[in-house]
Amino acid sequence: MRNLSLVKSLFHLKEEQQHSDEVLLASIGLSFTRGALAEIAGDASSGKISLSLTLLAKLTRAGEICALVDATNSFDPCSAETAGVALENLLWVRCGGDIEKAFMAADLLVQAKGFGAIWLNLSGLSKPLLRYVPKTYWYRFRNRIKETPTLFLVTAETAVVGPASQQSFLFSRERAVWSGRGRFKLLREFQLSFHSKKEFQGRPARTRAEFVYAGDV
Amino acid sequence: MSRAYACIISDDAKRDEQILLAVAGEFSYAVQRMDDGVLFDIRGLEKLVGGPKEIARRIVAKLKENDLECRVAVADTTETAVLLARENRSTDRAAFPSDIGHLPLDDLEIDGDALGVLYDLGIGSVRDLLQIPREDLVRRYGQEIAKVLDVVTRKKARPLAPNVRETSAAWKYDLDFPVDDFEQLIFVVNRGLDNLLGHAAHDALSTEQLDITFKLRDKTEKKYEIKTSFPTLEKNFWLKLINLRIALAPPESEIMSVRVVAHFTRPRPDQRGLYAVSRPEPESLLLTLNKIRKLVGEENVGVPVLVDERSARPFSLDPEAMPKGKERIEVRSEHSVVALSYFEPPVAADVWIKDNRLSFLKTQHFGGRVVEYSGVWRAGSMWWDKRWSLEEWDVEVENHGVYRLAKTESEWLITGEYD
Repeated sequence: MRNLSLVKSLFHLKEEQQHSDEVLLASIGLSFTRGALAEIAGDASSGKISLSLTLLAKLTRAGEICALVDATNSFDPCSAETAGVALENLLWVRCGGDIEKAFMAADLLVQAKGFGAIWLNLSGLSKPLLRYVPKTYWYRFRNRIKETPTLFLVTAETAVVGPASQQSFLFSRERAVWSGRGRFKLLREFQLSFHSKKEFQGRPARTRAEFVYAGDV
Repeated sequence: MSRAYACIISDDAKRDEQILLAVAGEFSYAVQRMDDGVLFDIRGLEKLVGGPKEIARRIVAKLKENDLECRVAVADTTETAVLLARENRSTDRAAFPSDIGHLPLDDLEIDGDALGVLYDLGIGSVRDLLQIPREDLVRRYGQEIAKVLDVVTRKKARPLAPNVRETSAAWKYDLDFPVDDFEQLIFVVNRGLDNLLGHAAHDALSTEQLDITFKLRDKTEKKYEIKTSFPTLEKNFWLKLINLRIALAPPESEIMSVRVVAHFTRPRPDQRGLYAVSRPEPESLLLTLNKIRKLVGEENVGVPVLVDERSARPFSLDPEAMPKGKERIEVRSEHSVVALSYFEPPVAADVWIKDNRLSFLKTQHFGGRVVEYSGVWRAGSMWWDKRWSLEEWDVEVENHGVYRLAKTESEWLITGEYD
């Protein structure tokens, strides 16, 4: 029996080591839960893409395979590389503005199981178009990824997932910081604030995203 | 014939290797390649060909057909067959165990001193050696002589160790009636895959490439090379993959016959590390990729790659590549970086300039006063046919975002948004 208890504890150790339940972004003070839907919404230049890339960087550098469903072909691999994303571990699906294809591709990825994260980027699609997305899609995704290591992340200009998401954050840009004077200015950073739409009493938190020029790398 | 082996020895086995293997392959599936020839199992041929003498005659005839002067022997143990073939002086006639008594002791692996003593005693051939009681010889010369006696008396022998395996196998099916939709043939291909994958599994091999060739009604052929980056024997996976690939580029005419070739390779190790992160199973990932390719087009699914060239967008999508899932071991502090998000297509803009400064910007979606901007950043190249030139600014628009504004020869464009 003593041997059996040893095997049991080692078994649990293996399960724990394969993936933690949460992905913690310590620099921002956010954590995302695996096996659930998370949503980041925000207007133009609110830092939602920066945050998503930070998350992808963390996962892909650890050797996890992540997928990006790029609804409007807006993804810039150069920015992703600068943010630290291991591009060789990223699957990029371009949907050319076709929202239906984007959702079907996301559905296929969810069915494949085992991805570290699936990022459905709906930025660039108009708000009226996003309102047409049936809520059942989100519940379908939620049920599919339940109890898998996959984190399903949705970014859009407006919150679209609704109650199906476990976490929903609204990002906004407080200011853009520029350095230099007169005509010789450089964009330096975005000062951002965000708050969870799931915690009504919570206060907005602050973070920043730096602008990196080729010479800074 | 309970056990029977044939051995062919060549003076230049390297030069004759392919022919020797082909000849051996005509008589047996179990072939062992040696430094100076081939050894193969001929059990079970007595009903098809005849007794050992007839088999040996046919082997010699086959070698003559191929203009090879080789020595052949047939015996019921592997080592005896090899010994007889090596010592056979004739290339026209095979050696048999009955010939072993005539062999001089020099041909056996007997220690030099022992050999000298045996010759001094007048023992010069195997027949003479076998007259001496085995126990006396073993007591005097040790276990080494016991091994030699085992070979010549055919009591013990090492088993054949086949080391020549097929690298591919083919399966073909001619249809009674032409079929225009491949999906109707799935059950036929299913049977073929059963054969081919069973063949690979029997040899402890796997496959990572299947070639499918259709003979079409218009007398042409359509060939599909279906490769994976990993070997697998999962039949359902192969069927789905074949179906997806053929659906992407279906044959132009009706199908008259199907030929499937499986290329064999070593099976993949299945053991993962204790601390390995979770990732999709390769079969599942490849199938998903193919389904998405069918949905959005082959050129729109893949791995992003940075391109080392001076262009407006120095990156591409590699549709052939699959995500590797390789860990990067390097220390890097976690921080967010402002990312560019492209507008596809770029958005046309009207720009107002006041006192040589950008002052106002308007597009069909938004507009506003330019609060801050940096630039102009001039970029371009004269690279052969890819000539391009741009003037760019980073622009913050009041109550809106920060954008990348570009001026071409004729118009202003918003090419992306910093987000």
